[in-house]
Amino acid sequence: MLRNALRKDLLLNARHLWGILPWFVWVAYAMSEPDAGRITAVGAAFVGALMATTIAAREDKLRTSATLASLPVRRRTLVQARYVVSYVVGAVTYLVVAAMAAVLPWSVQRAAELFEVKTLLLTATLASTAIALLMPVVLRFGLLGVLVFLGAFQVVGVVLFVAADFFAARSGARLFFGTIERGVVALYSGLGQAGPIVETALIVSLSVWLSFRLSVFLAERRDL
Amino acid sequence: MDPILELRGVTKHYEGFSLRDVSFSLPRGYVCGLIGPNGAGKTTIVKLILGLAHVSSGQLRVCGEDPATAEIAVKDRIGFVHEVPSFYDHISVEALASIVRPFYSRWDQPLFDALAREFELPTRKWFGSLSRGTRTKAALALALAHHAELLVLDEPTSGLDPVFRRELLERLVAYVADGQASVLFSTHITSDLDRMADYITFIRDGRLVFSSTREEVFDRWVVVRGDPGVLDEATRSLFAGVEVGAHAFTGLTDDAPRARKHMAGRDIVIEPATLDDIMCYTGRTC
Repeated sequence: MLRNALRKDLLLNARHLWGILPWFVWVAYAMSEPDAGRITAVGAAFVGALMATTIAAREDKLRTSATLASLPVRRRTLVQARYVVSYVVGAVTYLVVAAMAAVLPWSVQRAAELFEVKTLLLTATLASTAIALLMPVVLRFGLLGVLVFLGAFQVVGVVLFVAADFFAARSGARLFFGTIERGVVALYSGLGQAGPIVETALIVSLSVWLSFRLSVFLAERRDL
Repeated sequence: MDPILELRGVTKHYEGFSLRDVSFSLPRGYVCGLIGPNGAGKTTIVKLILGLAHVSSGQLRVCGEDPATAEIAVKDRIGFVHEVPSFYDHISVEALASIVRPFYSRWDQPLFDALAREFELPTRKWFGSLSRGTRTKAALALALAHHAELLVLDEPTSGLDPVFRRELLERLVAYVADGQASVLFSTHITSDLDRMADYITFIRDGRLVFSSTREEVFDRWVVVRGDPGVLDEATRSLFAGVEVGAHAFTGLTDDAPRARKHMAGRDIVIEPATLDDIMCYTGRTC
């Protein structure tokens, strides 16, 4: 049944997922920049997973949730499929960038470097965080909830950037961004050692599991 | 044989609306018309049957099973047409069928193809470009193509042309003819039910007014018309609803013999009530 739900999500949303094409155009351009390839590959997986996560929101918009929930399939399975689709799309977008790194003549990024364990683990961690955070919001609040959630993130980000520019060192914003940057760098370097890998894997798995349980709970109790 | 659909004391609370203590059943091989004004609770009942909303209290059984515990088995045996058939707009009817097909254990592709031809469905056109009537036809083809034992249709005739509407009603009668399948047909267009419904279930303000065979309904319910002068406290109490105009009153009662006896010799006319009369006059007190 999961296979059917997965197939449904991929077929129904294939067209929408082409929306990621502009990202790949930018990636193609960025491949000539030293060190850009790795960042764009991780970003591609992140963006791909994020886009796939919003499938349920589009179902809300098109008022198809009731039709889908009337089919002989458990809501739990529909939610499962959405998590799997998000990971599949994230992985595919990553592979596309890796393929671009390999074939584009102006690419300075070596494709093999994109398959280093550290990079793959960082990608999985960031994509999982995006999925785990967003999926319950999508299932609980639908399209409007996603827009508000992502919009609020954007606004907060812009405000913090502006604050960091205007108030420089006096602002906590610089500290905030610095902490995130250092955190990602520390995570990336830590993912080369067994201990941090296990710790990160445990935290990420637990987060995704909790997110999944919450999503199933929200989806099952919802009246359509 | 167990009824194919059974509701016992089913209650569902929403903010601002409650469906309260609804009980009725539908045996195999029959068509049940679920009638009531807009907002009466018809769609809520449909949603509860399809598991789209959760029962607050009471018991609901479909095909002898509890949909809450045997969700997939129950839904596999239900065909549905929602009031506004909605799906992804950018997908063709053909592709839609290919997505829906694997979910049903008894999907019959040749039957779907035959229905698509019969309903003249433009199978390669995007769902979003179809008229409401054609969307309903597509939803109906999907509902019929997996040999559902219970068809749950929510206002299916809205948006259909009269020719197809008549064909649909005839098809539904034929669908239940072998005694294995049943149809629950929610509508406020009561003329759809006059000839084809075996049972009538009337919901008003979230409460069940009655659920009986069509014959019982037409035998019991009558409309009484006459001079307003004959109305007094005792005669008013006969009626489930009464409307008083300047020159005449119209009263509705489900106790025709009592009305005849009580008002014998007075200048009144007693006529069989139509479903429209029952819907319109129930609860009127003016």
